[in-house]
Amino acid sequence: MATLQALNLLFSGDTELWEIIFLSFSVSFRAILFSAPLAIMIAFCLAYLQFPARRFFIALFNTAMSIPAVVVGLTLYLLLSRSGPLGDLKLLFTQEAMIIGQMVLCFPLLVALSHATLQAVDRRAWETAITLGAHPFRAVFTVLKEARFGLTAAILAGFGRIIAEVGSSMMVGGNILHYTRNIPTAIALETSKGSFAQGIALGIVLLLMALLLNLFLTYIQGQGEHSL
Amino acid sequence: MSILNKQATILKLGDINYKRNKQIILHNLNFEISSENFILMTGQNGSGKSTLLKIMAGLLKPDSFDLSYKQCVQTNSIEKKNSWSAAKKFLRQNFCYLHQTPYLFSGTVYDNIAYGLRHQGLSRSEISHKVSEALKIIALPHLGNRNSYALSGGEKQRVAIARSWVIHPAFILLDEPFANMDKHSRNSAYDIINQLKEDNIGIILTSHDPHSGELDFNRHMHLHQGGMIEKQA
Repeated sequence: MATLQALNLLFSGDTELWEIIFLSFSVSFRAILFSAPLAIMIAFCLAYLQFPARRFFIALFNTAMSIPAVVVGLTLYLLLSRSGPLGDLKLLFTQEAMIIGQMVLCFPLLVALSHATLQAVDRRAWETAITLGAHPFRAVFTVLKEARFGLTAAILAGFGRIIAEVGSSMMVGGNILHYTRNIPTAIALETSKGSFAQGIALGIVLLLMALLLNLFLTYIQGQGEHSL
Repeated sequence: MSILNKQATILKLGDINYKRNKQIILHNLNFEISSENFILMTGQNGSGKSTLLKIMAGLLKPDSFDLSYKQCVQTNSIEKKNSWSAAKKFLRQNFCYLHQTPYLFSGTVYDNIAYGLRHQGLSRSEISHKVSEALKIIALPHLGNRNSYALSGGEKQRVAIARSWVIHPAFILLDEPFANMDKHSRNSAYDIINQLKEDNIGIILTSHDPHSGELDFNRHMHLHQGGMIEKQA
């Protein structure tokens, strides 16, 4: 019964439901957009440059991948709350705070996966670009282009991680309707109220998105193998 | 690409030392090369041929290095902090290194040959003209739009040589270029190597191929136990 209601909500174009879906994608998309460039550049440095503590940083990012979202939420909450060191910024319970939380969550994953991808790119790609007269910055972009399929897969994996996280968004976003309520926090709220229809509808959206992301990932990986 | 005057391209490379895992690979090498040279470099596996070529191309930092050209216009020593940076820049501008198994970027053959030209600020029509010319020389005029991964080993090597030729460096360093080639590909590679000579591009070529003798070398260098011996060409 609840499932039928959920499907009805989805297909009838329920404004509140679609607003939550849109907000969720908007926040997570911005979080990925802001984190990916820096994460990829750090990954490149870890893969191609030799410097002290390089291995330590690799281990650090690998470890940070498994930080629970609720710990990130708690830390940010303490930093952003009125009595916290960043309280003056008045970011708590805003979309910006949710974006920061999601950036913190996906950043180590993006670095670790991009590093693994870039590490796997043939060293001759860099040497060939340099010996053909490319400026080192251009050579970096050539290597990134060679790794584009793996990097896209890393970004999609990062997006998958944050679109479904509830701990951080709930704590620093506050689950405010029309402003900071996204799919996972809405599901948590509706379930606690015993109102399952909206929760199921949003769950269907998340599952569909996971399916689409995985199909796209499989396609991307296929393209990567084809180009080898 | 080259910043050297083609009339006076004599380079003096000295004090080249390189260790890997505390093992001496190159020990105090000193030699001169000119853009009129066509040098065959031989040596056993592990004698440091590829290492030396990579150092000369500015792709590998040696433990020590001195570079001078013309009447010692530029001298760089690895002992000074910025000297390898300066030498590296100079070497990268004048030497082009080809791997034993060449790396072709993803994309078409055309894109690969045009890669270096796109960093020289040439117009599209100039690039297109040069790429077409290069494709004719390597006897692959019909493969411009072929994806690079679809080429055979020999075709890849020929495309890689053409890709280096179009940017016209002072020297091209060919690391075992005939390793993946059949007779047809080898003959085509000889044609482009002769073209390099006609264009006054200095060539240093490492090879185990007995047919390499068909090429008209004017110097023969042999690497042995970290040192270098000049043999009769």
